Amino acid sequence: MFSLFFRGLATGSIYSLTAVGIVLILSTTNVMNFAQGDMGMILAFIAFVLLMSKMPYIVAVIVIIIIGIILGYFLEKGIMSRIRKTSHIAMVMITLALTMIFEGIVGIFVQTPLLFPAAIPGPPVILKGVVMDRQDLLSLGAALFVVTTLFLALYRTKIGIASRSLAEDEYAAKLMGIPVKNIYIFIWSTSFGLAGLAGIMVAPRLSLEPTFMVVVQLKAFIAAVLGGMNSVVGAVIGGLLLGVIENFVSFYIPQIKDSFSLILVVIVLLFLPQGLFGKKETRRA
Amino acid sequence: MLLKIDGLRSSYGPIEVLHDVSIDANSAEVVSILGSNGAGKSTLLKVISGILTPTKGSISIEGIIINGFEPSKIVKMGIIHVPEGRHIFPGLTVKENLLLGGYFENTENNKKSMDFVLSTFPILKDRLNERAGMLSGGEQQMLALGRGLMGKPKLLLLDEPSLGLAPKITSEIFQIILDLSKQKKMGVLLVEQNAKKALEISDRGYVLVNGKIALSGRSKDLKSNPEVQKLYLGGKNV
Repeated sequence: MFSLFFRGLATGSIYSLTAVGIVLILSTTNVMNFAQGDMGMILAFIAFVLLMSKMPYIVAVIVIIIIGIILGYFLEKGIMSRIRKTSHIAMVMITLALTMIFEGIVGIFVQTPLLFPAAIPGPPVILKGVVMDRQDLLSLGAALFVVTTLFLALYRTKIGIASRSLAEDEYAAKLMGIPVKNIYIFIWSTSFGLAGLAGIMVAPRLSLEPTFMVVVQLKAFIAAVLGGMNSVVGAVIGGLLLGVIENFVSFYIPQIKDSFSLILVVIVLLFLPQGLFGKKETRRA
Repeated sequence: MLLKIDGLRSSYGPIEVLHDVSIDANSAEVVSILGSNGAGKSTLLKVISGILTPTKGSISIEGIIINGFEPSKIVKMGIIHVPEGRHIFPGLTVKENLLLGGYFENTENNKKSMDFVLSTFPILKDRLNERAGMLSGGEQQMLALGRGLMGKPKLLLLDEPSLGLAPKITSEIFQIILDLSKQKKMGVLLVEQNAKKALEISDRGYVLVNGKIALSGRSKDLKSNPEVQKLYLGGKNV
């Protein structure tokens, strides 16, 4: 029972890591970023190459996050900032295009699924009868670390508060003198840095192939919906919750294992459109 | 001279909105810009704050020409624009709204400014941690003004601060604007449809008609000008 719960939390933490990136971008730029998962995929692939060339694991993780940050910078600076004024939907389409480009690029090199090494190899940790995989513990820890850091950044620092203001009223943010262009770069970079972390956490559990993040991306969307689409804390809790519920469902009712999360999202949107933790859009006229 | 605008032209696409506008404003002076809808009043403010760029002419602040500067650079120079319709951040708390007004100031300065803003608008004090969208219209206008003050303006650009407010609250806010201007030696460029109230608190005024300055002068004189009375003051003797 506890093992089932823990295993669900661990799976959920993977959804959370991707969901946080999606929500971060959505809640500040109003762009639904379809490329979050596949950005993680291509970064995990680069990590694989680095690890194979004997780079220490921790260094590879840091390098990957930095590459993610740089890619985020270029995406915002080179593409998004140019089309923001012209077409909002084009920005969404570009994220969709990126998924195909990334999958295509990795597809050139990876024909058969690769086995991604675990960060901390070794036998599972057993605590009071609950079997805990080391990789699971790590990704759970990473998810909790990320949400705490992001929460503090978004609610306690100037650049974080400014990021949130951008989603509400870009014009007013400009009038405050907030360097809007830099904030967008900050958001995309942070989000893609997180994508790298997510990719590297997921890869050892699945196998490395061009489409291994597609399911995670889908589940992360659902987690984000559960969490209300506009709160990073909600996204993480949504992800963990989804992981746990899913794990129980697939254990007791394995027939609906795959369709379950989609049914769940329909139910949530019907009855709790703000998500479980999203802020209600109440305001006075 | 705090603000000097010379021969300013500005367009939205191919349509020129401001034709050869020249105005100026000093420190501790309230200058009102009157005019009907579409006369180009808001455009004028947007050009000063760098949201729009002028096609011709010059804008200078204390002798420095600021044409084409990024809005953030203009804010840093102490030119703060409080826009029409308030544009507060509804989902952020009152406190966060205020803090963003002092984006370029350090924590210590912001603390001082916030104390000052809260003593000017005590009503905001009890609501610091509430989301700004929950405030009433008048409170939101006070927040928008307070947020502007957090940037320590030398020149405050106020766009329709009376919009949608009860007359009593409008008078209250206008009195505060006047006091602040004199007390903080702050120049105020006040764009208003409520010409009567604007002329009451301003030292000088300009009347903008179809993107051109049609009249200018001391507020006292404008108030008794028959044309202004007919067009903007409802035709009665005020």
